[in-house]
Amino acid sequence: MIKLMKYEFRKTLFVKLIVLGAMALAEIAFLVGLWGDKERTLSLSILLLTFIALGGIMIIGLASVVILHRDVSTRQSYMLFMTPNSSTTILGAKLLENGLSIVMAGACFFALGALDITLLFAKMGQLEDLWQMIMSFLHSINQEITLDLPVMLSLMISILGNWISTVTAMYLGVVVANALLNGKRFSGFLSFIIIVILLWAVSWIQMQAADIKASIQTVFLIDAGIALLASLVMYIVTAQIMERKLSV
Amino acid sequence: MQYDPNRPIWLQVMTDLQTEIATGKRAPGSKLPGGRDLAMTYSINPNTAARVYQELEKEGLCETRRGLGTFVTENEQHIVSLREGMARQAVRDFLERMAVLGISPEQAVEMIRKQED
Amino acid sequence: MLESRSITKKFGSKTAVDQVTVRFEPGHIYAVLGPNGSGKTTWMKMAAGLIKPTSGEVLFDGKPVNIESRKHIAYMSTEPYFYTWMTARDVGRYYEDFFEDFSYATYKRLLERMELTEDMKTSALSSGMMAKLKIAVTLARDAMVYMLDEPFNGIDLLARDEIRQTILERADESKVLLLSSHLVEEMEAIADKAVFIRKGQLVDQVDLEQLRTEKGISMADRYREIYGHEGAQA
Repeated sequence: MIKLMKYEFRKTLFVKLIVLGAMALAEIAFLVGLWGDKERTLSLSILLLTFIALGGIMIIGLASVVILHRDVSTRQSYMLFMTPNSSTTILGAKLLENGLSIVMAGACFFALGALDITLLFAKMGQLEDLWQMIMSFLHSINQEITLDLPVMLSLMISILGNWISTVTAMYLGVVVANALLNGKRFSGFLSFIIIVILLWAVSWIQMQAADIKASIQTVFLIDAGIALLASLVMYIVTAQIMERKLSV
Repeated sequence: MQYDPNRPIWLQVMTDLQTEIATGKRAPGSKLPGGRDLAMTYSINPNTAARVYQELEKEGLCETRRGLGTFVTENEQHIVSLREGMARQAVRDFLERMAVLGISPEQAVEMIRKQED
Repeated sequence: MLESRSITKKFGSKTAVDQVTVRFEPGHIYAVLGPNGSGKTTWMKMAAGLIKPTSGEVLFDGKPVNIESRKHIAYMSTEPYFYTWMTARDVGRYYEDFFEDFSYATYKRLLERMELTEDMKTSALSSGMMAKLKIAVTLARDAMVYMLDEPFNGIDLLARDEIRQTILERADESKVLLLSSHLVEEMEAIADKAVFIRKGQLVDQVDLEQLRTEKGISMADRYREIYGHEGAQA
């Protein structure tokens, strides 16, 4: 499993390096803007940092879907399927490696964001006042809404959990397209429909769960839990389809 | 070695080894390569190589000593008769080809004499 | 050791392998013959567990091929399949990571013999070099069954000799070797059995020395008899 994960990491290394490189460049721009008092650079870099953090996590997930597609539909598939590993292990390694990458990237970006905000506040005191104003404004609308660290953290976890379930749904779609609909017309379109239905089902369950009376961060965490549980179910189904039906 | 794929390959390799034994290139009592090595040397299937030794043994040209390997026979008589047998075969082949060309054995002998002069 | 029982594979409406029952015994090198598209490759891929049969099964040591059997069956496909970022060294390390029977030392020796170096990038190899690399990495495994699909394809005359030698080095009484090739002459001396497949069906199995002794014909002759003009096109 670890060995498989090592190669999955290697396959997505290039994409990850690009994301990290872009992030580093944006961060440098941020620091230059901050200490050089260049407002245009600063605001642009903040925009970039936000964009790359969210986009990067998306790209890391999408890259793994593209690689799965290649690993089940091209000659390259022999590399995985001639080894004495079950589909459950092969797919598990992919999912685990990607999930970990997403979580690690998310954690990195979150930490970096927290650091940058602190730096920003330290440099510009008036920003902190502005922030407080927004907070109290939100609070006056609804007592429930606060934007403190636990809430941000659980929001982050919910976003990552949902993204992992989206990636897993795409895995399922790719495998269905290649194992069950192979050679049939519209197989790509059909698997897209399957992905949409699955994701809709997951969010429907999440919506039902959101009705319960609980604090906002509990709702976020339940959200993430449902998403991860759904990922697990989709993973098991996908692995079974691979094991029984996939010819490479 | 080039093989005629229409004739048994064990026979062709065997003939090759017989020639080496008959000409003394493989001395009486000398060790022959193991079955696997023979297969490698001649680029033939290992089962074919094993067959070669079986047949050579049947002819009394080699013997397998348990745990030691296969050796060319030390029986000089066997080697002499091998050489004679091969020579006779060569003559038969030669005469056969002459017959195809319409040349009688007597004429062939005459031609050989002239060739030698 | 390795057998298929009325195995069939259909791709849509096309039947690639049709009810093939065949048995391969240890201690033999089999030439698996047939024109392109006759189903040799599909059969091998089913035995390697890469393709799932439509019906029937392939058995290794009496049990259907599965993850366990992949530990003992070394399959080499015709097409290159390594990851494009790999060097020859990476390919060896990959096999070392996943196959207990793989020997990196043997691999290194075979690479040298084939005049390849470890730092060569697989994406930059010529087709002949790639063919040699595939052979080297496959035969560096000490497997029970080797299935080599077109091992002589794209390889020059001298290197073919090397490949024959390497194959023979691996052969012993406990192993099964299957060589599929349309270069029939290359296999006359190293194979001892031949299996003929035509349009997905097994049409003949012969012992080559017996064929030569009893009928005075070669494997290539038998090939011509079976496939006629259809074989000449392959």
